[in-house]
Order: sequence, then structure tokens, then C-alpha cells
Amino acid sequence: MRDVTLVFAYGLITALATGLGALPFLLVRTVSGRMVGRLNAVASGLMLGASFGLLAEGTRFGGWQTFSGGLLGVLFILVTNRYLREHHAHPGGPAGKEDGLRRMVLIVTVMTVHSLAEGVAIGASFGGGMVLATFITVAIAVHNIPEGVAISAVLRSNGVSVPRCAGWSIVSSLPQPVMAVPAFLFVEAFAPALPYGIGFAAGAMVFMVLLEILPEAYGKGSAREIGTITTLSMIAMMLFQKLVAG
Amino acid sequence: MATPLIVLLYASIAALSAIPGGLVRWSTEPGRDRWLGWAHALAAGGMLGAAFVLTGVSDATAVAGAIGAVLGVGFIVATHSVTRLETLDLSRPDRKDPTAAPRLMALHALHACTEGVAIGVAMAVDLSLGVFMAIAIAVHNVPEAALLSGATREQGAGRAGTVGKVVLSNVGQPALAVVTWFVVATVPASLPWVLGFAVGALLNLVMTELLPASYREAGSTSIALVASVALALVVLLGGILP
Repeated sequence: MRDVTLVFAYGLITALATGLGALPFLLVRTVSGRMVGRLNAVASGLMLGASFGLLAEGTRFGGWQTFSGGLLGVLFILVTNRYLREHHAHPGGPAGKEDGLRRMVLIVTVMTVHSLAEGVAIGASFGGGMVLATFITVAIAVHNIPEGVAISAVLRSNGVSVPRCAGWSIVSSLPQPVMAVPAFLFVEAFAPALPYGIGFAAGAMVFMVLLEILPEAYGKGSAREIGTITTLSMIAMMLFQKLVAG
Repeated sequence: MATPLIVLLYASIAALSAIPGGLVRWSTEPGRDRWLGWAHALAAGGMLGAAFVLTGVSDATAVAGAIGAVLGVGFIVATHSVTRLETLDLSRPDRKDPTAAPRLMALHALHACTEGVAIGVAMAVDLSLGVFMAIAIAVHNVPEAALLSGATREQGAGRAGTVGKVVLSNVGQPALAVVTWFVVATVPASLPWVLGFAVGALLNLVMTELLPASYREAGSTSIALVASVALALVVLLGGILP
């Protein structure tokens, strides 16, 4: 029982760390159109970098499983996006605001789904002893911070306040403690599903970036500026993940 | 173990695979826009996949790789500035601008050189990775060549001339592949730097040219689908490598 509480507490720490990603936005006072483009470019790069990390992890377990999980992730975003377009479009309302709202719902959904897979990773890691578990928890907590930055970048550029950005970032990571517990208790049952879950998260993230976040960014700046910010953010995320993973 | 001859052979096959693309008379008339967009998206997804496969090669030297990648980004940004290529629309160059066709050629030559570095460094890591990279780039060269040939034919060039130009724009591929392979084979310590450089340059080409060009031609849903499925296929095939 004590173990289960500990696993949950560790998962919760990683979720709270995601909220730290909103902090840099205390420094950004006003959000101009140009800034929206740049923020979306940063979010795109961070998420593409995170997906590359997930793909590397997933393909270690199984290429086909990751691949099919990825295709499911693409399908999931396709369906979710269509649903959001059909059911939350108010004719006559300001078009830009509708799109912004849809993007915000999408990114929070995608990041929440992706923390399901991370929660399983935390729970499963406890099988390897406390030292490994502590290490992996710290690693995932640190790695959640730029994910919080990505979420906050999209939310903040749509006018959401910094405390709310932090709140939504944490919410998106709450599946981590929730999923960590069953994954810890039933490691054998969860392990085979892991590459599918990781692939799903990567596919959903890449597809959402390509479908919504990048086109929005390109519309608000030169292709060269937006593209270069995206690439540099992606490189930074990949370096960060490799350093954290040791 | 790759030899210079094998590197040259596979990089040349990749470059010559542009010929079928060059034979296509690709119309840049309105109405064919979506196909242009999808061809770019296919190339973008494939290049992203190639960059992913290269990032998986060495883990121990993350910092050197990242610095190399930033240099690769800087290389693309600098060449864009020098040639004023960033103002050029990849899929529909201004027909009234006489410099558009040569600049488009230059842009394709720049792509080819970057891809040559990717093939060369992959060959230096492992023969099977190198062959994989050459095949991935060969496939990606077909739509790229078709796009270039469309623009060249529109400027009044004949079929033979177009194919010649398309192949010429790819000469950098085998040349840079051999040079890169030679550098890494002679100075093994340069591997993480060169790998990083190739990754950064490929990614920046995708983000500053291929993707923006594809979004201008077709809806973001179809572009995102084509690009992510292309990426997934390259990642899957890259994972099968021994």
C-alpha cells in the first residue's frame, strides 16, 4: 500500500513540474501577432522534438507496434479535430477566436493523451527498484517542463492568463500519477501495450503540429523565421531529452 | 564496410533517380496545385524521417551533435541569405522574373548537397544505413525533380534540356557524399558533428522551404496526412535496419 502511495506521489510531482512551463510567460507582457507566430513555432519544435524522443523509445520495443500506434494517433486527431469543428463552430462568431479555441482544446487533449503513455513508463520503472524509479521520475519531471512551455505557448498566444496556463499544463499531466499506479501493479499486462501507446502519442503529436500549429505559425511570419525557430526548438528539445536521459 | 566506390555508386543512383521525375511535364497551372503540395509534403515527411534515423545513431555525444545541428541550420540560413533564395516560391516561381529558373536550380543544387552530406555520413556509420539513406533520398528526388522540371519547361526548355538540368542540379549529391564519407572515415571524431550538421540542415530545409511551400498549395489536413505517413514509413523502415 505504501508503495502505491509513493508511485502516485512520484507521478504527481512530474505532473506539477509541467506547470513550471508557464513561468517564462511571466516575462512576456503583451502578445502581438508576430509573437503568436513565434510562440507557435516554439511549441511546434518542442513537440516535434518530443515526438522524435518518443519514436526512439517506441521503436526500441517494436517498430510495427509503434507504427500502428502512430497511425491510430493520426486517426484520433483527425476525428477529434473534425468533431471540434462540427460541434463547436458558432456561425457568425469571430472566426479567428473559434480556431484559437479549437487549437487550445486540441493541444490540451493531445498532451493529456500523451501523458497516459508517460504515466505507464513511470509506473513500469518502479519494477527496477527505488533508485531507477527516482531517477526516471526526476527525468520525466524535468522533461515535462518544456512540454508545459509548449502548451502555455499556444494558450498564452490565445490570451489565456499565466496562472491558467500553468493550471492547464498540470491538468494535461494528471494522467501520469493516475496511470502510474496500475502500470506499477500490473507491469506484465501493461508492458506489451507500451510501444502502441508511445506510437499513438507520437503520431497524435506530430499530426496535430502539422495540421494546426505549424500552418498557424507560418501564417504569422516569414517561412524562414518561423521555420528556423521551429528547427532550433526541435534541436533544443532533442538535446535536452538526451541530456536528461543521461 | 563502405568504400568510396560504393558511396559514389549509391549517391549517384540517388541523384539519377531524378530522371523519371524530370521526364514528367509537371504543370504549374492552377488546378494542379494540390499535387504540387502533396509532392512537397511527401518530400518533407521523408526528410524528417531521414533526420530521425540519423539522430538515432549516436547517443553519447549529444552536445557535439546539437552544436553540429545548429551549424547545419546556420548553413541553410546563410545560403538562403546569400542567394536571396528565401524570397523564391518553391512551387511557382515568378514567370516574368528571368532569374527565377536559375535561382530555382541553385536552390535544388543546395538541397542536393545537403542530402549528399546525409548519405555520406550515413555510409560512414554503417553500409546498410548508408544504402537506406540513399534509397530514401532517391525516392524523395523523384517528386522534387518533377517540380523542378515543371518550372524549367515553363521557361521554354525542351525535354532533353530539362532532364539535363535536373540531373545537373543533383551533381552535388554524389560529390558531397564522397567528400563527407572521406572526412568522417579519416577523422572518426568528427562523426557526431557531421551527423548533427546533416540533421540540422535537413530539418531546416523541411521547415523553411518544403512545408511552407506545401501549405500554400493544399489544405493543411491533406498535407499533414501525407507528411506524417511518409515520416512514419521512413521511421518504420529505418527501425528494421540491422
